[in-house]
Amino acid sequence: MNVRVVIAEDAALFRAGLARLIEDHGHRVCAAVGDGGALLAAVAEHQPDVVVADIRMPPTHTDEGLRAALEIRRQHPRTGVLVLSQYIETTYTARLLEGNAAGAGYLLKERVADVAEFADALERVAAGGTALDPEVVGQLLRASRRADGLAALTARERHVLTLMAEGRSNAGIADALVVTGGTVEKHVASIFDKLGLPQDEADNRRVLAVLRYLSS
Amino acid sequence: MSLPVTTPTADPPPGGQARVRSPWAVARAAAAAPFTRREGRELLFCLAGLPFAVVVNPLALFILAVDLIWLVAGSGRGNPSPADLAIACACLGLLLVLLVSTGAARGLGSLQRMIATRLLGMRVAPPPPARRSPGARAWPGPGPRDGVGWRVMAYLLAKLPVGLIELYAAFCWITGLVNVGYPLWWGAFRNHPPGIRLSPVPVFTPFGLFGEGTFRVATFPGTFAAAAAGAAMLLAAPWVTRAATSADAWLIRGLLGPGRLAQRVHDLELSRALAVDDSAALLRRLERNLHDGAQIRLATLAMNLGMAREKLGDGGEVPDAAAVRELVNAALRGAKDALGELRSLARGIHPPVLDNGLADALASLAADSAIPIELEVSIPVRPTPAIETIAYFCAAELLANAAKHSFANKIAIRAAGQRDVLLLSVADDGTGGADAARGTGLSGLAQRVAVVDGRLTIASPPGGPTKITVELPLSA
Repeated sequence: MNVRVVIAEDAALFRAGLARLIEDHGHRVCAAVGDGGALLAAVAEHQPDVVVADIRMPPTHTDEGLRAALEIRRQHPRTGVLVLSQYIETTYTARLLEGNAAGAGYLLKERVADVAEFADALERVAAGGTALDPEVVGQLLRASRRADGLAALTARERHVLTLMAEGRSNAGIADALVVTGGTVEKHVASIFDKLGLPQDEADNRRVLAVLRYLSS
Repeated sequence: MSLPVTTPTADPPPGGQARVRSPWAVARAAAAAPFTRREGRELLFCLAGLPFAVVVNPLALFILAVDLIWLVAGSGRGNPSPADLAIACACLGLLLVLLVSTGAARGLGSLQRMIATRLLGMRVAPPPPARRSPGARAWPGPGPRDGVGWRVMAYLLAKLPVGLIELYAAFCWITGLVNVGYPLWWGAFRNHPPGIRLSPVPVFTPFGLFGEGTFRVATFPGTFAAAAAGAAMLLAAPWVTRAATSADAWLIRGLLGPGRLAQRVHDLELSRALAVDDSAALLRRLERNLHDGAQIRLATLAMNLGMAREKLGDGGEVPDAAAVRELVNAALRGAKDALGELRSLARGIHPPVLDNGLADALASLAADSAIPIELEVSIPVRPTPAIETIAYFCAAELLANAAKHSFANKIAIRAAGQRDVLLLSVADDGTGGADAARGTGLSGLAQRVAVVDGRLTIASPPGGPTKITVELPLSA
């Protein structure tokens, strides 16, 4: 799979490393820019499959990247957006995934240390899937007011739920847990049954359903 | 609040800003004195203040009212006219209003303050607004309970003698002018044929109101003596005016301002707000430095190590050893950079050498400077840690400023403990022109110093040299 990527990150060293990492995995970096405005221009010019954007960039050094990401999702629905951040902020993810989790991701920057995982997340978002940082999902689970519903799950099912919320497909979950696809399906069905959620085949809608459940 | 930044200036003598005090300059200044704009404004101030001494003065009103009532009561000279009655009632009413209504007293106070601001350029902060208990009527206010109103009363009482001096100053001006005019009108009105004896004309002197029995002129040459006396009075008048306005200004500052306690509370509120803002800004800067510095470096480092591990594979042959080596080298560099970043950040929070005292900390600061530094420290009693920290960061910032802007060849840092004050001065032989109004560095320092009741003094004429002195209490 060859993905066309635009990178927006203001720290030059990190930006260069990111470009190298992505190209090492056989993808193409169309542009690597340093702020939100340049990002929007580069996306309009290159129409990439996916954008990797830092949240905090010049000139405001606040949530420049997130705002640019939302704009891109509005104007270029076919471009996936993977936001990188140094914060575990569930409000940021909520804003990013509001109403539609397709082609969107939110990862902590240190996640790039696990190169294969990062590349997998990038490809997933480029293909219209979802990638949510495990730390963020953990935070959502800890803060969730649905403690009794979650308490009904077995340890294994909780693990599966976490992986689901991260945006992984059944096959991905099976890989991660080293079990068969059938076992995962069984777990998933059981989880949806216990939490009273409607079954949905599409991974990104499944993510949204789980997130909604956790934050309601 | 009292300005934390002070620039030393001297009060110019009446008549000019003569800096070099040669006898000739002093004489010239004295001769020009009556004709400068400032003297004119001071005279106007004296005249404008007179109603406060006479018309709305509680003592004057009281005396007038008692006098008229005595007259009305019949123990006086005879039948009072309705006008006398009306005036007595008005006086009593005015007195009552002054004593009962805070609003009226405060209004008088602010009027006098406004006159002082307009004419003397004095800046006196208004007193704090009256605290009204909810439901209390706005007017007449709680007169006896309001300290501000009473202080206005005290001012008006003290204004009576001061007002007399002000009146005397006006007298000096007017009579001086009249005297100077004697030779002019003498020719116009006293051009009688010779042989006719004329009664002598009294001349005004500073000592007798209308010259009764003091000084009279009867001849034309005599009028020149009167003119000389007038000139002397005109030369003296600015000094009398200055004395009167100074006394009045002192009273205004002391009695019509916010009061020492209220001023102190105001100052403390302000410096507390500054301290809170300062610490919030500091935390923000710290977070920014961590986020954009060490944190991103460590993330890059982790990324490089991750890529290297991937290239190393699961064991066995490494296909691209050179790339792995490069990645590991980059990671190592990143680790060192991150460490350096964290070290300088930690030092910016609290330099460890400060634990050994200000002398050591200043010495290490001096050692790091590119411009040669002459350091002189004598601090017999060690200040509290907070004061040492403030002094250290002041010195660091002033040094950085000097290095950046002054083009100095030499900098002298002096820190001296005197009784309960720590004096820190940073002087350079650079181009000068440092100004707290331009750029935020110096005013920020002044704010930080003001939080502990310290003071920052800047002496930096254009062309240099610059000397900035920080005065701090030994304990905060």
